[in-house]
Amino acid sequence: MNLRTFAIALPLIMLPVQAVGDDADIDALVAELEQVKGRLSELEQLRQRVRTLEARLEEANRAAASDQMDKRDAALARASTASEPEPPAIDIGGALRFTTFANGSVKGQRGKSGLDLFRLSADGSIDNILLSAEYRFYPFMDVLHHGWLGYKFDNESQLQAGITRVPFGILPYAAHNFWFGVPYYLGLSDDYDLGVKYVLPNGPWNMQLAYFKNSELSNSGDLGRYSYDVVSAGTARNEETNQFNGRVAYTFGSGTTCSHEVGISGQWSELYNLDTNKRGEMWAAATHLDTRCGRWNFQLEAARYEHNPVNPTGIPRNRIELGAFESLYDIAPSGTVGIANIAYNFPLSGDILDQLTCYNDFSVLYKDGGGDDSILNTTGCAIGVGPLFIYADLINANNMVFFGNGSLANDGEDDWDTRLNLNVGYYW
Amino acid sequence: MDFAQADSAHETRELTVVSWGGAYTRSQIRGFVRRFERERGIDVEMIDYTGGIEEIRSQVRSWNVKWDVVDFELFDAVRACEEGLLVEIDPASLPPAPDGTSAERDFLDGSLLPCAVGNIAAATVIAYDPEAVERAPRSLKDFFDMRRFPGHRGLRRTPKTNLEWALIADGVKPDRVYSVLDTDEGVDRAFRTLDRIKPAIRWWDHGEDALRLLDTGQVAMTSAYNGRVDIANAEGASYEILWDNHVRFRDAWGILRNGENIEAALDFIRFASTTESLAEQAKFISYGPLRRSSLENLPADLLTRLPTSADNLPRGFDTDAAWWSDHIQDLQVRFDHWVERSFQVPRDWPSR
Repeated sequence: MNLRTFAIALPLIMLPVQAVGDDADIDALVAELEQVKGRLSELEQLRQRVRTLEARLEEANRAAASDQMDKRDAALARASTASEPEPPAIDIGGALRFTTFANGSVKGQRGKSGLDLFRLSADGSIDNILLSAEYRFYPFMDVLHHGWLGYKFDNESQLQAGITRVPFGILPYAAHNFWFGVPYYLGLSDDYDLGVKYVLPNGPWNMQLAYFKNSELSNSGDLGRYSYDVVSAGTARNEETNQFNGRVAYTFGSGTTCSHEVGISGQWSELYNLDTNKRGEMWAAATHLDTRCGRWNFQLEAARYEHNPVNPTGIPRNRIELGAFESLYDIAPSGTVGIANIAYNFPLSGDILDQLTCYNDFSVLYKDGGGDDSILNTTGCAIGVGPLFIYADLINANNMVFFGNGSLANDGEDDWDTRLNLNVGYYW
Repeated sequence: MDFAQADSAHETRELTVVSWGGAYTRSQIRGFVRRFERERGIDVEMIDYTGGIEEIRSQVRSWNVKWDVVDFELFDAVRACEEGLLVEIDPASLPPAPDGTSAERDFLDGSLLPCAVGNIAAATVIAYDPEAVERAPRSLKDFFDMRRFPGHRGLRRTPKTNLEWALIADGVKPDRVYSVLDTDEGVDRAFRTLDRIKPAIRWWDHGEDALRLLDTGQVAMTSAYNGRVDIANAEGASYEILWDNHVRFRDAWGILRNGENIEAALDFIRFASTTESLAEQAKFISYGPLRRSSLENLPADLLTRLPTSADNLPRGFDTDAAWWSDHIQDLQVRFDHWVERSFQVPRDWPSR
């Protein structure tokens, strides 16, 4: 029995004595007991004090022995731990990319290499205010890729205002490869315009409504832009204005290893002709399926579009002029687009590769009014290695703009062309 | 440290104690921290953390110690002790049981380390809301069966427990788990099994976050600490605990070396380790105190809800703290890589 237990037990032992003694005896005993308890308490405190001092002495000896070694890196480490900065609310990022390609149809010079772009971006939020912007420097132009301010509501919906992505078809991209598919070159994928967009996620539903006053640049004749729009830089001088978009998607199997997003999209806009000052129109509609099953991804999309401009007399209406990247080409005024993409994400266990995704993206334009179909088929892999992201693509194109004499308009030629493309980017 | 510094410990007016937050920290505050503050005249500042010893290593090596006492997972205490980051604690200095039994004999076996004092035994279990699932899971295998039991899964962002569970779900007997994990093939097998549910996983760091995932309907079922589920139920929730293959673990107090409040920290641990303190804490969270004398004082209905109850004990197993102490560093790196790498084809690639 130790001192503390004895101190607790003593009053209990004494109880029978208290019951039989007279009052004077009891008082004396109680007083004596209190004295004993006081002494015991003092002894207990002394014992603790001795142990404390022993422990302190041992600790001091040990600390002194290691003091020399620890002090050496103390200053440096203190500097690193003294003030941990708060993570920034707005992330500043960027990329530096280089590209090289070999073109199968060009004799003599078989390929080119060089800087693709340097870009800076800002993304984040402060309270409920959202911000996203990206500025790009290409060797031949610099451009605001997108830039918008937004507000996030309590129900997770958000309103974006500025140059923002047009909600149409499979999002965010209707292709896995670097050069995208046919819809991008028709202005029906990864298109950015100036306006407002409301995004409402609600369980498996995702609804997006948008109004765009015009394309991303106020000057519709300016070809220094990232995404393809109807432009007034050619002979027809039309521009997009007052565009409305709606997109509804529903995801089956969310929370399983096999989810399927199905969706429909609609787009309508005016085509204002700068010469006739009259308003034509354009519309497009699409339905899509985006399935992610295990490591596989299947994408299907069918889209239909039609342009009805009001051109001056003498300017044919069977060619619509689209432009971006300081270039201009024609497309068929109406047609049907198809997409069928497949991709597989490989399992990785080593320390080098962070991502290896291989894919085959197929897209085609069936043109109203004749002309050979335009087809793009790209087989390739996307490889992530730390901050590096590499696209290695083998592109096969038939009657496709930028490939030989190919065209998205009602002409061109039925001829396959091949391009091997390698894009290496450092992203931060 | 010199004696001038050591003496300043007597002047300690505030002690920083690091623990796991939420209901668990609350149980400590109500169980003994308030009482300690009153009796010693020292303010205790409670700070939350999510485990690991990186921060401890940094503070101790820089002599810039801001945390006085830390509530470790046992395997982290083992690591920190081996690295010389913690003050040694003499078991003989710990308070005996009320009947005089020494602390060494009163604490459950394996609870007292050279520089850590065990406090509670808890369990990682599977919790689910019976009203939110079409079919109630009956075994750990159901947690990994996305076809029959669809819905998101909550898991703590650590390889610990997750790798053991993955192997058991893939057919390994619980008593062979650590020997299988000792091989590269075994680790590969565990990650492959986790792959099955990876797209549906929602990660949590703080024990409280697991319950939040259930509260907000973000997951159909989640790993969670049994005591926190109990408290959520006491506060109005009606979550079920699946005890099948629950993983029991222990926490332990440790004191960072090179701190200025070592005396007060030792005093705190002694106070927190009394029979009374441990039993009091258990009244506020259903974790088993590691002193036999504390267990004797617990009400019968609480005893049935502990991982060590007669019903629950055979349905789970003890985490191997020594094994994790040896392997956590390597496996954490691989696990982090695995988490960061997308299983499905990523939706958001760098914009082109």
